[in-house]
Amino acid sequence: MRLLRLVGFLLIGLGLLLAPRWSWAQTQHVLSGLVRGTDGTALPGATVAVPALGLGTATEADGHYALSLPEGAQKITVSFVGYTSQSFTLSLRRNQTHNVLLAPNASELGEVVVQGQQTLQQKLESTQMGVEHLSIREAKLLPALFGEVDILKTLQLKPGVQSGGEGSSGLFVRGGSADQNLVLLDNSVVYNPNHLFGLFSVFNSDAVQSVDLYKAGFPAQFGGRLSSVIDVKLREGNRQKYVTTAGIGLISSRLSFEGPLGRHSDGQPAKGSFIVSGRRTYFDIFTRALNRANANVEDYSPIPDYYFYDLNLKANYTLTERDQLFLTGYLGRDNFGFTSPNGFQAAFTWGNTLGALRWQHVFSPRLTANTQVGVTDYKYQLGNSIDQFSFSLGSTIRDYNARTDFDYLPEGGRHVIRFGASFTQHQFGVGRLQRSSQDNSVNFGADVAYPGQEAGIYGSDNIKVSDDLQAELGLRATGFRSESDHFGGLEPRASLRYSLGPKVSLKGSYALMYQYVHLVSNSGASLPTDIWYPSRQNVHPQRSQQVSTGVNFLLGGGKFLLTDEVYYKWAANQIDFRDGAQIFANPNLSQEFLFGRGWAYGNELYLEKKEGKTTGWIGYTLAWAWRNFPPQNGNPGINGGRDFHPTYDRRHNLNVVVIHQLNERINLTASFVYTSGAPTTLPQGRFALQDIYQGAIQPVPLYPDRNQYRLIPYHRLDLGLVWKLKPVRFGTERDLTFSIYNAYNRRNAYFIYFEQTRDKATDRVTGYRAQQVSLFPLIPSVTYNFKF
Amino acid sequence: MRKLVIIGTLGGLGVLGAAGCGSLRKDVNVPLPQYDNQLVVECYLEPGVVPRLTVTESVPYLDNGQAVAAKSQALTLSNGQVVQLPTDVAVKLTLPSGRVVPLQFLPGLDPTTGKYFTHIGTQPLAAQAGQTFALDVQDTRSRHVTGTATVPTFIPIDSVKYQFNNLTGDNKKAYFQTKWTDPGATTDYYRLMLHKGKPSNNSETDNDINDLQFNGKPYAQVTTYRFRPNDTVTATLYHVDSLYYSFRRSTREARNANGNPFAQPSTIRSTVQGGVGVFTVLVHDQKRVVLK
Repeated sequence: MRLLRLVGFLLIGLGLLLAPRWSWAQTQHVLSGLVRGTDGTALPGATVAVPALGLGTATEADGHYALSLPEGAQKITVSFVGYTSQSFTLSLRRNQTHNVLLAPNASELGEVVVQGQQTLQQKLESTQMGVEHLSIREAKLLPALFGEVDILKTLQLKPGVQSGGEGSSGLFVRGGSADQNLVLLDNSVVYNPNHLFGLFSVFNSDAVQSVDLYKAGFPAQFGGRLSSVIDVKLREGNRQKYVTTAGIGLISSRLSFEGPLGRHSDGQPAKGSFIVSGRRTYFDIFTRALNRANANVEDYSPIPDYYFYDLNLKANYTLTERDQLFLTGYLGRDNFGFTSPNGFQAAFTWGNTLGALRWQHVFSPRLTANTQVGVTDYKYQLGNSIDQFSFSLGSTIRDYNARTDFDYLPEGGRHVIRFGASFTQHQFGVGRLQRSSQDNSVNFGADVAYPGQEAGIYGSDNIKVSDDLQAELGLRATGFRSESDHFGGLEPRASLRYSLGPKVSLKGSYALMYQYVHLVSNSGASLPTDIWYPSRQNVHPQRSQQVSTGVNFLLGGGKFLLTDEVYYKWAANQIDFRDGAQIFANPNLSQEFLFGRGWAYGNELYLEKKEGKTTGWIGYTLAWAWRNFPPQNGNPGINGGRDFHPTYDRRHNLNVVVIHQLNERINLTASFVYTSGAPTTLPQGRFALQDIYQGAIQPVPLYPDRNQYRLIPYHRLDLGLVWKLKPVRFGTERDLTFSIYNAYNRRNAYFIYFEQTRDKATDRVTGYRAQQVSLFPLIPSVTYNFKF
Repeated sequence: MRKLVIIGTLGGLGVLGAAGCGSLRKDVNVPLPQYDNQLVVECYLEPGVVPRLTVTESVPYLDNGQAVAAKSQALTLSNGQVVQLPTDVAVKLTLPSGRVVPLQFLPGLDPTTGKYFTHIGTQPLAAQAGQTFALDVQDTRSRHVTGTATVPTFIPIDSVKYQFNNLTGDNKKAYFQTKWTDPGATTDYYRLMLHKGKPSNNSETDNDINDLQFNGKPYAQVTTYRFRPNDTVTATLYHVDSLYYSFRRSTREARNANGNPFAQPSTIRSTVQGGVGVFTVLVHDQKRVVLK
């Protein structure tokens, strides 16, 4: 392992040695401004480029851009997906502000035309590696389970990202576990990004603009998780007119309303805008009807009510030319409810709530600041009652956070400097349990709660060393306190890009990350009842380091980008539970933990095409992930202290995604996934246990090894069609989206279990057999979307 | 409930999609790695009762009784299940006084509990709270299981209570409450079983409880509405040690993990060393009531 670390550092060092000529004497000025649509909506991720110089940048979430250019006349091109590109020439004599309004494409299919937001050329030249950008437009084209567009599931189609299993929106990035992803919604942390035990993510496709996934070379402004950053941006509302968007799907419906804030007129957008989006499932409507229909059927067990909903709000307002406010809100809940005819009631609710207010101030074209305050909260509550007795159990985590980030473009144009600070006040409600009765004969409870404060400061500099060599060097200093326990550390970050020519670049990166909050789960999957726990006492922060290197080729006249990245990641202070741990409302929970280490390595090959009628990508990943939990404090550890693969380890992973624009109205899509079988734990032996009283003697499974068996390889083909219907009166835009999930009806293994076989006539045991269970067969779906 | 909710919902979604698509379950061939059989010991001592224990062997999970080891024999139970019995096992029980009592290999059926046993003593045991027994089980194939067990203190049931709902006919059902007082000075573990009628066969409810939330306080365990008028309910409260509690939880978790994709399989935390199984002393209180 040390050898690999050494190789990683050597590669970075080699990049520095290759640094050639230092030539940057020309006078530089900053061109900055906003890129918006003609309806006034900000266009994040739009490209502002000077093709003649090979320079360019992408706009921020609010549409803001800043670009350092040599003095003189420069031809600038601004482009964005679904909008007509605009070119203009400016004579730069000083720092200058220039706002751009882009008109939507004339094509009625403008909304679903796919082209590169970030051009392949820019991707080739960027110092950032291990990053994937997805717009909701791409995700909306691809086939989806039950027709529910899910941007997190679309990310699973990228190399280096594994799903948690059939249908799951869980993400496991480069051998990291699900809680090691920093999931951000407009810079606010989302602690549980899942609905329905991971089958759907919390991100409503109507509200989301785009997502960036960082797998390596993490920019210094991000911290707090080991394995990835999932940066989700919400869409801004229309500044010109009020628009309603809706969709009716198989399991849920969506409704969004957006419009201007303040006065507006044709060609003159308002100073602000808002968008409110809601989504709700309707399983419960069907199950209630089913329960009513079977109310008089003997032995019928009523199906519990279940539904989830989420609400998104985003608003922005331009106070002055230099000041802008942004408001983000999210509320999502999953609800289970059950009432038996004889009076037993049970309920299970969980969900996230968050709100954030951001103020952007442009001090000068060279210096911009973003300051945000917010609150984020995740909780679950489980309870039941019978007659006078009631029982409840719950857990929460609530953060109050503030952060400020500065972007600075110094004179000379060789540097892009970012710096900032953040502070979070955590409240960990690790476990709250209450059991009581009205007559007070039973009344006890427990409330295990801890405070935590987390702070970080960072700085980074993206340096253009020469035309060929660019580096981003950063340092983040972080600290965490929970009562009398303190932890902290330095997190160096570095990324390098060296161009071997106009069509080939080499990249390398190194990142050290600390994670001070831990998701403790005693199940093999992420569940809403998992608990967030702070670093305190014997629970030390998780720490990871990753070295990554890669090569990029621009092929086919710039139409294709081929990327090959190799990574090695090692992590300390990984947490798992000892067998038989008591996790609910346990005041000594940390004594149930086991500590170990993890490491992962692999190679990701990625070919993508982002322009033209046929677009898509092919990704192949060869990877290994390992964990080790040695014997400790009298506990034998996990797997007897031997190395083992976590359940999300996959040796091979192939993804093929094709999007073809058949004509102006019809897009055809297909995605194919192949992965090696998931590791799983199966019993190897069994014994018969009679217990105190003789009864039905049940076999008890013996599991000597963790994850020693692999399920059969997983593969699946999904097909989709988006059919843009002709507009009807009042300019209503409509489309029908068809999806076929698992088109060739593959019986993928969800899990395997063992059971006794019995003689049907006598019910006598005749032997034992293994059964494989699949979750989803071929599932067709259709969604109707409209906008007016 | 959590597991039911998860499986039910996922199953429901699966069923929804599966309409007309055939079964989502099928037989598969699973080549399990080589497994070496272990001695399995099950021994519950009780004051005033002649000691009995059962020594069996664990077997590969998918073994259907085809490969019985030499010096072992296959015993087919009444339900058709086959259990492998080693016939070369010597068992010694060390009493609190230090006296070693051999238990004879004399397979039979306990007329009181209906349980099978392989080894039996000759005298009822005398046992006081705090005393420790030791067990030594050894066969001629170098397998050697040992264990110790300490007699728990007696914890009485304070009261039992039931309450019918307001419904009539088949829907008229009662919940049942068992109450006891936990001692504050110690960390305590319990097993509470409710039976309809005489305790035997399958219990109505069977709970393993620790005093983490109610140390030193009265505690009441309440069932759902599940008992009918005229049911005779027997509540049996065992005060057990942490090892037996841990063994019970591990066997339950191991069973639950077979068929639950969300569960993390648990290794069996035996109370004995050198093999698999349980050696413990049972002390219990019992109350019986007819629901009117």
